[in-house]
Amino acid sequence: MNKLIPIIFLFVFYGQPPMQEKIIARQGRVAFFSYTAVENIKAENNQVLSIIDLSTHEIAVSMLMNAFVFEKALMREHFNESYVESDIYPKATFEGKIIDFDPTIEGDQTRMVRGTFSMHGVTKELEIKTKIENLGGKYTLSGTFEAYVKDYNIKIPPLLAGNIAKTISVDFRFEYEPYEG
Amino acid sequence: MKARATILLLVLTGMSHTVVSQNLLDILEDEQQDIPQYTQATFKFSRIAFGHSIETRKKGLLDIFVANRFWNTPEERTQSFAADRLSTRIALEYGISDKFLVGVGGTTFDGLFDGFVKYKLVQQRSDQKGSPISITLLQSTSYFSEALASPNIEDDFSHRLSFTSQMLIGKKITPNFSLQIVPTFVHRGLVLSSEDPQNHFAIGFGGRYKLGNHVSVVSEYYYTANPIKSFDTYGPFALGVNWEIGDVMLQFMLTNAVRMVEDAYITRTRHNFNFRNPNLNFGFNMTYVIHFKRKLKNVTDGKH
Repeated sequence: MNKLIPIIFLFVFYGQPPMQEKIIARQGRVAFFSYTAVENIKAENNQVLSIIDLSTHEIAVSMLMNAFVFEKALMREHFNESYVESDIYPKATFEGKIIDFDPTIEGDQTRMVRGTFSMHGVTKELEIKTKIENLGGKYTLSGTFEAYVKDYNIKIPPLLAGNIAKTISVDFRFEYEPYEG
Repeated sequence: MKARATILLLVLTGMSHTVVSQNLLDILEDEQQDIPQYTQATFKFSRIAFGHSIETRKKGLLDIFVANRFWNTPEERTQSFAADRLSTRIALEYGISDKFLVGVGGTTFDGLFDGFVKYKLVQQRSDQKGSPISITLLQSTSYFSEALASPNIEDDFSHRLSFTSQMLIGKKITPNFSLQIVPTFVHRGLVLSSEDPQNHFAIGFGGRYKLGNHVSVVSEYYYTANPIKSFDTYGPFALGVNWEIGDVMLQFMLTNAVRMVEDAYITRTRHNFNFRNPNLNFGFNMTYVIHFKRKLKNVTDGKH
């Protein structure tokens, strides 16, 4: 019986990776901007969820499309009803890995996040340059990337082609806290 | 015995491992459950065709609403440009809150001035929790401003007012298809004939089918249970196309309802729906939306 105890310990620790820690951001911010000569459009979502597994460096992001707030209330209706069709595709998600991420580094580090982004029924490979801040175990991720409207099968009527930019610039910032699963 | 215990442990720890490495997106899925999801855009306008829809306007939005009806007189040869008759209703509708809409309007043809208040009581939720339908209440009042020929008719201010109360019950059945049922009570102020009831009960039906992202086909019909007896009336019917783009919304319809205020088209539509003049009306409504309240004033991406 005495021999069994070390075996138990062995299996318990084998079963669980050494650093089993997840951090979550519940009020992540994603904003996007479209600039044209005719009209500037901006939208912001302050309820984006993101989770990072510090041991595997995996990251996931999930946002509800109808939580984007626009400058004009009517734009939000049009965005959901006529462009991203949020009744059919309610969410946009990202799933990937932070390359060469070292959670133990204090202060700033800039890393690539590689993964797949799904929106409006289209899945795309993305690689996003991300700034990671670690202030005593409080992680913040932020960055900017460009997305092509055409890539996501979003149709813009010819009459409004001048009002909506072909490339949308996307801003994000997530502040994480420990996740109690 | 030892071997069995070891296997058991192996299985148990193996199980605990799979629980721990639960997919990250699944965790987020669980977290998202608590955010209530209200169904958006059951109808896109505050009207389906000629009648009100369950929709109100968001806070700070002003609709400039111009509705036109064109029709021809039964005369064989007329020399009018485009159409013999035209009626226009111009209205302003403002969203006091996201659920509360008020509006005032005036119609050229029948001299009706009207005002309404509309409140979203129950909102349909798309996440299987909460209400499966939306309910909106509407109270409208109209004032008949034109002179009356007969001196025997009571026509002081209160007799010139008519009231319509509606309970609009709507449901977005699929992302493309919405239906609405409208129990209605109408009180008419003017008594033109003693055999006519002053209070009417009616029920309306409306539907919208989305053809594309910006275009939908709509239809509407109202049935009155106790219609006016002194002359024949018919249920107003419309078949139309709604088109919305940017801040402009256009509605095109074929209808037999000349009048554009609730109590008037529900109880006093004198022609049935067919293609003869003057029964057939072509309707053209235009709504232009002005935003008085803009959000995200402080949001910038640092570059602009």
